[in-house]
Amino acid sequence: MSESLLAALERPQAFLGQSQLKTWLIGILKHKVVDQLRRHTREATILVGEDGEDLDDALFQADGHWRDAPRDWGDPDAACARQQFFEVLQTCCDQLPPVQARVFMMREWLELESNEICQELAITSSNLWVLLHRARLRLRDCLQVRWFSAAEAA
Amino acid sequence: MKNTLTCREATRLLLEDEDRELPAADRIALQVHVKICFACQRFVSQLNFMRRATKAWRKHSETDVDDDRPG
Repeated sequence: MSESLLAALERPQAFLGQSQLKTWLIGILKHKVVDQLRRHTREATILVGEDGEDLDDALFQADGHWRDAPRDWGDPDAACARQQFFEVLQTCCDQLPPVQARVFMMREWLELESNEICQELAITSSNLWVLLHRARLRLRDCLQVRWFSAAEAA
Repeated sequence: MKNTLTCREATRLLLEDEDRELPAADRIALQVHVKICFACQRFVSQLNFMRRATKAWRKHSETDVDDDRPG
């Protein structure tokens, strides 16, 4: 795999300024995800296999109430004014399980609609929602720990 | 129609709402829950935060392509 391809996969956001690269990147992301899906016999396997933890059980009590109420994160603009915040966001995205990370990138970076992603990856919409659901919960948890709680502790 | 959601159910719907148009019944049930649930109101704010932050991050990277961090 070429250096530039690796670089684009690791930091796609640095390459997305050039819109002509978008199609190219979609192709790469698609290939990577499809490849990962293919290694598992059933589509559902990847959902459990890559990420077996039940994130919801960790967040909610048996009766469906939050174990810990979500914290007040304040003003997004204040956080986004700081370079450090984007570094944390990058780290948190890097830590997502690979399929979740790529699907999340297709949705948020490439701004594809859900049905476009499903078509590209040949997955069902309910599986897409499970992947994005988990990606967003993981991202939220990571930001809480690495940015907000870290700031409180400092 | 079931008109009370748990926080767990409300959270699932709020996350789905990021990626698809919710059916009207779900949307209404969600509005009713969020109106009275302080914790889920916070979760809504966090989702808004993440959406805006991701957008800002993308713009930031697009205008700053020469930023070469090691690693």
